[in-house]
Amino acid sequence: MRTILKKALLTAALIAFAAGAQAKETIVWWDFLSGGDGVRMKSLIDQFNKEHADSIEIQATTLEWGVPFYTKVQTSAAVGEGPDVMTYHLSRLPLGVATGTLREITPEELKAAGLSADNYAPANWKAAQVDGKQYAIPFDIHSVVLYYNKDKLAAAGLLGQDGLPKGLDGVDNFHAALEKLKAGGSEYGVSIHSAAGDSQWRIFYSLFSQQGGKFLSDNGKFLEGDNLDKAVKATSVVAKWVADGLAPKSTDYPASIALFTSGKAAMHINGVWEVPTFTDLAKQNKLGFEWGAIQLPTFFDQPATWADSHSFAIPNRKGKEISPEKLKAVLETVKWMNEHSLFWATAGHIPAFSPVTSSDDFKKMQPNATYSTLAKTAVFDPSSKLAGVASPVYDAAGNFLMPAINGELDPQAAMEQMRDDLDGQTE
Amino acid sequence: MLASTRRAERRSAFILIAPFLLIYLVLFIYPTLKMLELSFTNAPLIGEGDWVYFKNYVRLFGDRLFKTAVWNTGYFVVLTVVPNVAIGLLIALMVDRLKGWTQSIVLAAFFLPYILPVSVVFLMWRWILDLQFGIAQYPIELFYGERVPVFRTIPWFLPMVGLITIWWTNGFNVLLFIAGLRNISPEIYDAAAIDGANRWQLFWKITWPLIWPVTALVATIQLILQLKIFDQVYLFSIGGRSEPTMVLVQYIYREAFQRNHGGYAATIATALFVLIAALSVLQYQVLRARGAER
Amino acid sequence: MSVETGRIKLPTIGAEGRHRRLRAFDMAGLVLTLATFVFAIIWAFPLYWAMVTTLKPEYEVVQPGVRLWPETFTLEAYAYVLLNTKIGLWYLNSLVTSAAVTMIVIFTAATCGYAISQLRFPGRRLLYLTIMASFMVPIQALIVTHFVLMSNFGTLNTWLGIILPQLIVPVVVIVYKQFFDSIPRDFREAAIMDGANDFQLLFKIYLPMNWGVTTALAIITFIGAWNAFLWPFLAQSSEETMNITVGVTQVHSAFGVQYARELAGAVLAGLPVALAYLIFQRRVTQAITLSAGIKG
Repeated sequence: MRTILKKALLTAALIAFAAGAQAKETIVWWDFLSGGDGVRMKSLIDQFNKEHADSIEIQATTLEWGVPFYTKVQTSAAVGEGPDVMTYHLSRLPLGVATGTLREITPEELKAAGLSADNYAPANWKAAQVDGKQYAIPFDIHSVVLYYNKDKLAAAGLLGQDGLPKGLDGVDNFHAALEKLKAGGSEYGVSIHSAAGDSQWRIFYSLFSQQGGKFLSDNGKFLEGDNLDKAVKATSVVAKWVADGLAPKSTDYPASIALFTSGKAAMHINGVWEVPTFTDLAKQNKLGFEWGAIQLPTFFDQPATWADSHSFAIPNRKGKEISPEKLKAVLETVKWMNEHSLFWATAGHIPAFSPVTSSDDFKKMQPNATYSTLAKTAVFDPSSKLAGVASPVYDAAGNFLMPAINGELDPQAAMEQMRDDLDGQTE
Repeated sequence: MLASTRRAERRSAFILIAPFLLIYLVLFIYPTLKMLELSFTNAPLIGEGDWVYFKNYVRLFGDRLFKTAVWNTGYFVVLTVVPNVAIGLLIALMVDRLKGWTQSIVLAAFFLPYILPVSVVFLMWRWILDLQFGIAQYPIELFYGERVPVFRTIPWFLPMVGLITIWWTNGFNVLLFIAGLRNISPEIYDAAAIDGANRWQLFWKITWPLIWPVTALVATIQLILQLKIFDQVYLFSIGGRSEPTMVLVQYIYREAFQRNHGGYAATIATALFVLIAALSVLQYQVLRARGAER
Repeated sequence: MSVETGRIKLPTIGAEGRHRRLRAFDMAGLVLTLATFVFAIIWAFPLYWAMVTTLKPEYEVVQPGVRLWPETFTLEAYAYVLLNTKIGLWYLNSLVTSAAVTMIVIFTAATCGYAISQLRFPGRRLLYLTIMASFMVPIQALIVTHFVLMSNFGTLNTWLGIILPQLIVPVVVIVYKQFFDSIPRDFREAAIMDGANDFQLLFKIYLPMNWGVTTALAIITFIGAWNAFLWPFLAQSSEETMNITVGVTQVHSAFGVQYARELAGAVLAGLPVALAYLIFQRRVTQAITLSAGIKG
């Protein structure tokens, strides 16, 4: 009897051991996160791998953001290659689905993994769907904010009692503030990356939406009717900063950040993902001034800020579909990442997972808490297979909007060309 | 010869050409024909499409970006071919004067870039021209007055990529010119020197006409090479505006791999094909004609 | 002087002959020589600058000013690249695919070149003309159909998929053909009479007759395959299957822009071909003049 028991125990132990060894899933993971985002994601992945040492291992590759990343993803999926899971911009989701790059995640699969719409803002969750089918799990909402140099704003009398900037709302007020800052000894009032189409798109889309503009009408026409005028207005605002020397011309991404960190520009418009850059510099005492970040001012009738979402998606690998076991592991990973997204918020983002955003820890986090009001009036890119990161709309921003900002094209002509270019691509 | 040996010869020939022929048919002839077929369809990159007759070709003629790509490719050819040939000849003349190990070292200095992969050339020059830390920004600041984000400033982009291309590929031309110079018999120079010709006259009266066939050859090779330009232009344009500096192969790449338009990409590829074939024939005729004048 | 290729002769370094008469002191000549040195230094400076950057610590790299030698000498950038990227795998991929391309190209070109040169068979002229004409065809134009074909073969992201489309190097066939043309046909007939067959002739007699040509062609084919960018860039999507030339431009470490590390990766990618050139300098020179069809 005892030997039987012993044998049974041994067998059970063996089975458990074998099962444990078999169940270790390797997940191939692609992302486009570099800089502060990249460091934070890397430590999340390390933590995940440590906690799942005998069940799941993430093998991560970081590829070049934007067009190179999405090109690789699209062609890989079409030929049955590619990762098990990848980061994906929700703005690009319709395009991704239209090109057959993304795999549907069925309600049953979501349920089995314990992923529920209840934990996400309804609009955010819906943005991960096309025709009612779920293709991604949101991870964050990110936007652009106005970074400012407290010392310079205080000197120019642009800081209120509460320590926050004041008097920046309205096109003319903002322009006057920039001139004041320049007169006060700043080389530029505000630094922007005027040499990057995607960056300009974010500012443009915010200003355009603040006038209630609709970039893509329901009938599939771009900049229809008076929307064209609103687009011209939005473009002219930024073009005037550049023309008047208040914002730098044809400036690259890293250079525009350097202008702000070196104190040459009093303000800076950029994504929330640069928060860690300034936090880290300030921590190392290399910044030389106090900084802050607020929601973009309201230039026109209503507050509105461009926003997008990072999400996790599964590529639709033709002929080499993901296995049920791997899918389970992927969804478990995605869930874990969402549950641990408080750390992701230190990269400036607003987590998509509402249990995190409603936690006290998040509500205390600075400067996120100051600008997180923008989420209420956030505007997302038009839902179209021509829009989103690395899409025809982004290309058009680079080809028409950017030259207009830098004075190489007249705003009116630029917007008309942009409209015609995009309308020409609707079939 | 006996019929049986002739048969044996044919059999050997067939076996000997078979491996090459197989590769050639499967990987060259078939893809070329397939490309032609694809250019009449609206197929995506991977998958079937419908036959659309000449629709893609009609579209090509009205395509603004195609015109830009043709124009930029031509511009790049102008920027690189003639300077590359001229600088190659100049360096070859300079190096050819030297002897022994000094010649080997100097030649290596000029030739080494040519041997490097394009990725290395790209990473090196991106660093050298970096807006904030690039060492080349010092001379740019000195002569131009301010630092320039060269790969984000449209008018600077192609000339700078052209300059880098010349730096990268010039070693090839230098080698060919040196080989050509060595084929000129020293007696001709000696005879001319006795007649009291100076260095300048020696070059124009003797070297230039005698080196002309090599010059023509180098120019032809460069022309065809630069029409197929992709690597550098693509790499330096990552993250910036690609459309204003788009070249033809890059446009093929964009349509096929970024936009998933396999059919239209094949149409552009066919156009490039025709362009290069026509130019090669034309250039061959012109060069032969000029060669015959002498 | 002729551009048509005829016999194969090694170009030799050193063109003394005609300079002998300039023995006497020559001011203009001295100035020219000095100018040559200065020009060479300027030309090679970017290479030096990239090298020296990789030997500096990152904080020194971004200091303003020009420092021609590192203040603090460090190999940290190399250590980082070697330990934190898959560069070992990329090297392996590059090595395997380039070596395979070289071997297959040399073998198929030698056999085909031999057949066209030495044997009489129907379609010989047509084959040769087609190969000559394919010079004009841009392989780059075939990326779309190559990609579809490799996808159908299921070879994307594999060594085979990288190798196959790179096997079209018609110029090697032509050089071989011209090389074999320099051997009189009687030679073959006599050997056949003695009972040799064409394979023995080719591999035991003709090729060993001048290994120099094969070595030169092999080196230049290898360098070409090692340096190839467009096709490997399209066909390799996963980090494990990338060639080194693709890997160093496509994969980003999650530590922001680190100039020294990026350049260290570049130096490592270029090192094998640079060394190959420095060791086989004469062969490389020969290969290039051969492939361009210049009589050396």
